[in-house]
Amino acid sequence: MNTIYTLLPLLIIVAASLLVMILEVFFKREDRSYLAYISLLFLIASAAACVKFWNKSYSYFDGSLSLNNIVLFIIIILIVATFLVVLISMKYLTLQNANYGEYYALLLFALSGMIIMVSSADLIVIFLGLEVLSLSSYALAGLRRQDEKSNEAAVKYFLLGSFASAFLVLGIAFLYGATQATAIPSVVEGLQSGSSASTLGLVGLGLIVVGFGFKVAVIPFHMWTPDVYQGAPTPITAFFSVGPKAVGFIVLLRIFAPYFQDALESKLMFGLLWFIAAITMIGGNLIALRQTNVKRILAYSSIAHAGYLMVAILARDTQSLVFYLTAYLFMNIGAFAAVISLGKRDHEYLELEDYKGIGFRYPWIGATFAVFLISLAGFPPTGGFLAKFYVFSAAVRQGLISLVIIGVLASLVSVFYYLRIIIYMYMKEPSYEVDIHIDNPSLFLALFLCLYGVLQLGIFPGNILLLIRQAVTSLPLF
Amino acid sequence: MEIPILSIVTFLPAAGALLFIFINRDKENLLRYLALIISIATFIASLFLYFNFNAQTPDPQFVEKAAWIGGGINYHIGIDGISLYLILLTTFLMPIVVLSSWTYIQKRVKEYLIFMFLLQTGIIGVFVSLNLFLFYVFWEAMLIPMYFLIGIWGGKRKIYATVKFVLFTMFGSLLMLVAIFYMYNLFYKATGTYSLNIFDYYRMILNPSVQVWLFLAFGLAFAIKVPMFPFHTWLPDAHVEAPTAGSVVLAAVLLKMGTYGFLRFAMPMFPDALKKFLPLLGILCVIGIIYGGLMALIQKDVKSLVAYSSVSHMGLIMLAIFALNMEGIQGGIYQMLNHGLSTGALFLCVGILYERSHTRMIKDFGGVSKQMPVFSAFFMICMLSSVGLPGLNGFVGEILCLFGVFKANKLLAILGVTTVILAAGYLLWMFQRVMQGPITNDKVRSFKDLNLREIIYLTPIVVMMFWMGIYPQTFLRKMDVSISNLLNQVNRKEAIFTEASKEGIKAPAFIMTEKVKETDTTAKEDKGSQ
Repeated sequence: MNTIYTLLPLLIIVAASLLVMILEVFFKREDRSYLAYISLLFLIASAAACVKFWNKSYSYFDGSLSLNNIVLFIIIILIVATFLVVLISMKYLTLQNANYGEYYALLLFALSGMIIMVSSADLIVIFLGLEVLSLSSYALAGLRRQDEKSNEAAVKYFLLGSFASAFLVLGIAFLYGATQATAIPSVVEGLQSGSSASTLGLVGLGLIVVGFGFKVAVIPFHMWTPDVYQGAPTPITAFFSVGPKAVGFIVLLRIFAPYFQDALESKLMFGLLWFIAAITMIGGNLIALRQTNVKRILAYSSIAHAGYLMVAILARDTQSLVFYLTAYLFMNIGAFAAVISLGKRDHEYLELEDYKGIGFRYPWIGATFAVFLISLAGFPPTGGFLAKFYVFSAAVRQGLISLVIIGVLASLVSVFYYLRIIIYMYMKEPSYEVDIHIDNPSLFLALFLCLYGVLQLGIFPGNILLLIRQAVTSLPLF
Repeated sequence: MEIPILSIVTFLPAAGALLFIFINRDKENLLRYLALIISIATFIASLFLYFNFNAQTPDPQFVEKAAWIGGGINYHIGIDGISLYLILLTTFLMPIVVLSSWTYIQKRVKEYLIFMFLLQTGIIGVFVSLNLFLFYVFWEAMLIPMYFLIGIWGGKRKIYATVKFVLFTMFGSLLMLVAIFYMYNLFYKATGTYSLNIFDYYRMILNPSVQVWLFLAFGLAFAIKVPMFPFHTWLPDAHVEAPTAGSVVLAAVLLKMGTYGFLRFAMPMFPDALKKFLPLLGILCVIGIIYGGLMALIQKDVKSLVAYSSVSHMGLIMLAIFALNMEGIQGGIYQMLNHGLSTGALFLCVGILYERSHTRMIKDFGGVSKQMPVFSAFFMICMLSSVGLPGLNGFVGEILCLFGVFKANKLLAILGVTTVILAAGYLLWMFQRVMQGPITNDKVRSFKDLNLREIIYLTPIVVMMFWMGIYPQTFLRKMDVSISNLLNQVNRKEAIFTEASKEGIKAPAFIMTEKVKETDTTAKEDKGSQ
């Protein structure tokens, strides 16, 4: 059934972003929070469309865009992420003096780019989606125009991002040269048939790894991450740490899961990704130890998590990857939401010193933040533990035992800095008053939703797991 | 419908913690009384386990099983003669701990009680789990409340101590997790079903060369928890910095999780590897015994003296368990309970002194017994129980342990006996310096003797000390069958594997004994849904 309706989830988002952009002109500055409500409505509509298409499989534009259960599931994850980001942004924008109407429009554009990326198996279309995502991201990073750090973030992100895009295009060109195809299945097939073009193909794959390695922030392509995460408005940082990372990994999985099935041909690339995964897990966690700014700690933590996700790619396990992304979405956005909640007009509390005694001064915020940190560190009974459990267990199944040992030891290191934030919150006496703007209902809704998500996924993940499992087995991604 | 009594014992404390969240933090006394009621209720519920326990069967009892996540991960709990007593010990100590921190904890009572009760659920959960995943969840989840207990209510170096405690423990358990993955995967290859049921793993006989690695991973996690020399360094820090109640729980129950882990997992699952490592383990135990004792002799702080005495005592317990005979393991388990009682009681006594003087240095005391005669009597009984005076519980345990070790290895037994000698040395000397002699510090003159609350919570412990010392049969009887089952398990496996390799089968990674019976219906369902 190839009708235009198959594009419905995507079209709703695009329509919403255009609408928000137009309406912005008509709203007064103080009324702009209505734009957020409109965005939320459209996000819900789009998610509903995804649910409606469940168990049906569509493809459109000669297969350049295709929807099936697992893609729909990932789209829903992305929509939920954006939904939460909108919730945590509402008050933040007014408080931090960044209440621009284009904010929500850009956010929705970025989402539409991500939806294009995950629903396509064609490298050119993926690139198209990536550019939509990237251009909106650059603008979002620099949203706080008066803030030097935010400007720095935007420029850094833009410059390095353009490089990465260039690498990606070059990689696609090489792959086309090697296999005369841009659709991922044919590309992989072409590479595996092992002709003389394989060197060309390897270079192409390598360049693609560089391009996406940048997007998902794995070491050694991570240099931009801490500065951008620190400089960008905090809700946008939350968005960056989840959305682009998720789609990047989905695309990598699409390419490498079938490619790695041929163990002999793919040895070199496998080794490369193995190395990247190991160094990302070790490096991300080790550097995070030295940070004193909470946003930077979370930035390096997100690098480390990219390493764990890379392990799932190497294990070729869609199920654990998708589950990890789901759990990661809740715990990471939740952690950023907690960071945002500790702010007042024109000021955010971001240094570790500010967190002294927060746990008792604001018990609910402190406790939820602690839960997110514990989940990020991978303690049971939270979603973060189960996510790691599935990824590492899948990796052991594929015989990647040494990588798993590196992974668990790296996560031991991570325990130290996650707990360090908790130490400041609960075990040190405050040396000065931290005064926060507490009237922020949408943020607390987001905090609650994330908390619920983390605990549900940690204690009773049965339904979600079943859903993912069925989606994966009925129609694999690749 | 049967009452899920074991689940109630496990989760009643957690339910209590949940209840506390919704109580106003200013109503401190309400919180304390509620805590006392809940902890006593849990204890009573656990007594039901004791009285309905069938000592004739080695199979797990009070089994509850429910599908949980799938893929072999089930909610599967049950107890046997080994775990029964550790659960009782935990629930028995909890009301005492709550009473002991009645006035000791003045700030943040609400959070304190919440973490205390979550900790209790975590500990009991470890002892009842029959599913490796469930076990691991409790094992790790228990770290979090302990982390807060030491970190918030601890002494001067609390943050150092608590971080060290968490990182040490996690290091071991993460490697154990990898080993669990490996076995999980191996079992799936062997049978085509996913299972994390420990009885399925008992039936899976692994190639000795594989066993070595798995044993190292599991053993490390448990050895850190026990702690065995040279992994003990976290213990003195954690003990000294923790609040009194934290030290009591830590010494009395938490350390037993390590020994329990050996008995339940590492030994029956990897018997060949165990035998390979026995000489090394024996030596480490003896070093622990002597080193712990010598370190205790030179401590200036009463609390760290007791902490080091733990290292020494736990060494003897492990040595007895590694004797791999009836007396040894029985003595080891009995001594686990004794150590829980007497070391717990010693920490309580130190806490009582600290509440009055705000110091724990031995030199600051002297002649306390003149001011506190009642306390002096209690303290002396607890101290003598730890030394192992006949008539008190410690003696029975130590004698059994040493019998067992003597049967297995005479040299180790001779070296192991030093634990008794050293204990007599450091404890009596400490008692002499703290309680007797002239009063040198004027502060001591202002000490008040025990109040009613303190007498109330010390009395049950002392009663138990006499009971366990005079009539140990009450306790030993119910362990026998479980222990002989364990010994069969350890010895039988080896026999089968040697036969198989004699027949010229090229060493496979594993052999399944009997057809995995009903790898239980749940596991089969899992296969369908995978």
